[in-house]
Amino acid sequence: MTAVDPETRIPDPIDLDRGEEARLRAAAGLAPPSAAAGSEYAGFELVGVPDRPLQTEREREMYTLEEGEMLLNMGPQHPSTHGVLRLVVKIRGEMVTDLDPVFGYLHRGIEKLCENATYTTVLTYVDPMDYLASMHNEHAPAIAFEKLFGIQAPRRAEYIRALVVELNRVFSHGLMIGFLALDMGGLTPILYSFINRDDVVELLAAISGQRMLFNFFRVGGVNWDVNDEFLSRLGTWHGTVMKSIGDNEKLITENEIFKGRTRGMGILSGKQAIAYGVTGPNLRASGVPFDVRKAHPYSIYDELEFDVITQQSGDVYARYLQRIDEIKQSLHLIDQIMDKMPHGPVQAQVPGIIRPKPGRAYGAVESPRGLYSVYAISDGGPTPYRFRMRDPSFISLQVMPMLMPGHLIADTMAIMASLDPVMGGVDK
Amino acid sequence: MDFSLLLGLGRFVLATTLLLLLTIPTAFVVIQLELKVIALMQLRLGPNRVGPRGLFQSTIHGFKVLAKEDTVPDQADRATFTLAPWMVYMAAAMSMLVIPFAPGFVAADFNIGVVYFFAILGLSVVGLLVAGWSSYNKYSLLGGLRSAAQMVSYEIPLTLSVVGVVLLTGSLSFSQIIAHQLAHGWNVWWQLLGFPIFFIASTAEINRAPFDLVEADSEIVAGPFTEYSGMRFGFFFFAEYVALFIMSAILVTLFFGGYLAPWPFPAQLGGFIGILYGLLWFFAKTYFFIFVAIWMRTTLPRIRVDQLMGVAWKVLLPLSLINLFLTAIAVVAFKL
Repeated sequence: MTAVDPETRIPDPIDLDRGEEARLRAAAGLAPPSAAAGSEYAGFELVGVPDRPLQTEREREMYTLEEGEMLLNMGPQHPSTHGVLRLVVKIRGEMVTDLDPVFGYLHRGIEKLCENATYTTVLTYVDPMDYLASMHNEHAPAIAFEKLFGIQAPRRAEYIRALVVELNRVFSHGLMIGFLALDMGGLTPILYSFINRDDVVELLAAISGQRMLFNFFRVGGVNWDVNDEFLSRLGTWHGTVMKSIGDNEKLITENEIFKGRTRGMGILSGKQAIAYGVTGPNLRASGVPFDVRKAHPYSIYDELEFDVITQQSGDVYARYLQRIDEIKQSLHLIDQIMDKMPHGPVQAQVPGIIRPKPGRAYGAVESPRGLYSVYAISDGGPTPYRFRMRDPSFISLQVMPMLMPGHLIADTMAIMASLDPVMGGVDK
Repeated sequence: MDFSLLLGLGRFVLATTLLLLLTIPTAFVVIQLELKVIALMQLRLGPNRVGPRGLFQSTIHGFKVLAKEDTVPDQADRATFTLAPWMVYMAAAMSMLVIPFAPGFVAADFNIGVVYFFAILGLSVVGLLVAGWSSYNKYSLLGGLRSAAQMVSYEIPLTLSVVGVVLLTGSLSFSQIIAHQLAHGWNVWWQLLGFPIFFIASTAEINRAPFDLVEADSEIVAGPFTEYSGMRFGFFFFAEYVALFIMSAILVTLFFGGYLAPWPFPAQLGGFIGILYGLLWFFAKTYFFIFVAIWMRTTLPRIRVDQLMGVAWKVLLPLSLINLFLTAIAVVAFKL
């Protein structure tokens, strides 16, 4: 063996990382790395604790451990946290006593990006927020900007908008069913869900040209009219969708293990849901019949007939059933839209760069996760002065620390999946 | 010099080596079967690239783990961390010793084969607990404790349901149990309660779905295996599939006549042909139950940890005691 000269030796990258961490911490005035080598369980009890001084009463309560308690850090890299959600769970044995959801790992500053974009290009930036409901993401700003600019989309465009958002709702709810089963260890429903989703995505790709971030809405209309491929695919899909969703449902709905794990689990009462601002299927599963499409009709929803479905129990199982029932309502709506769709143009006359008069506008839609809304302020320039989005999954996740204590680690994932968060929307 | 002792020892060493070598292809076949069956049930194609019709996919997985970096966490207990995969793997491999594959085709025909089998297989829980404890990871710790709770609890109904078979056949030797079934028909007809208890408890004992809490990936990442990589992880992985094979083999031996054909064994079939005929039926039945286990994995969601304990102590244990009681009465009353 030849001796390695310490001067020319290539340093161990892990050592380099540690040195860098210590240097950055010293520069920021933070304590040195806590995993002090030497003690037998060094660093074990500090996993998950924030490396800054605790700020609020709630944080101090959360991160103070009693005898027999342990912090468990789940995420942002964890097999089932739906993207980059991080949960710091305080456990006693397997029992969860407290929980702290930590957001922000997917923050892309979309609101700021939108404030630097012209009104017409804002609609391309909001797509990747709630990436399972891209159509709804575009719908709310389109409504807000039309109000701001004082134009009206043509009737046919409104019908096409309603059609694509209902299609989007079908696949989003279908995926939630699969992810809920996956987080309980059922391997197959998610595959069936994705097969169903693929049918809808192909359908939407036929009309918009893209499979995930559709970029289909325009201020004052939609990008394309319905075409032959879309219509023929829609007919085929409509004939088989209930069967394929039924096949998937057969694996779950009456399964004794599934029922045993979801009934009475994570009960959210209607009062609590309203107090926290939870909307959408999660609110309706708690027995509150609030649906933006009925309560504050936008687009053409006041001309269509549909029911606001509610469940009574407010547990995980109710939230699951709520999704299945809403898929049926969406298919009912699609029938009516196809029946009533008028002829005409699909895009109003809009200048290339819109300069609305100074003012404010609010547009809200019922996305698959709840009330998704946009508040835009114009100062008369070509870009929004302020562009604020309310994302429903962000609000839904706030109830997690309330639902979780008293349940087991296994149930954290079930309850989280039943709230159906999409981290792209939570972190914006 | 006692040559019979030497001969016996040589036979034992040869048989053990052969069985250890057999575990590798067995694991490959079972993994390949699982990949393909799950794929077909989920309307996918499954592996179809490596080798003819994708047949070598699991083999290539096996060689892949050899090539991967073998890491040990900084603060792990290195000695026990290294030892744990061996404990789990050897527990699975050594319990293969008493399985009768065909007439006369058994590595060691102990007169206490049943006791040996469950004693050795029960050792794997020690390996899992050690792996969970030494990894210096909270997920591993939770998984290790779960495995201890689960496997120790389910060993009780598992063993009690086998006691019914032992009472019925009057022997602890697997070849005697098969000989009894040749004379009186398969044990499953006499153990209509014992068989489902054994089936459920054995599924839980080898951590298969819906009882795969030890490595529940949506909850505790990979349980005790979280920090393992390379061939150490490979040993855990192989041990799991070897255990699946062994449990199916023992289920077949105890309740479905082992290597016996469903109809009376042709008397003239002796020697080599008889062994082949026995192997055919043994593997056919064993792989049927492996298929059932894979089928359950694709269909059922995972059970929760408190429900798991409830099933063991409130349902299976009383039922297995009832089964034992009824079998004992029947043996005495009808002089079976």
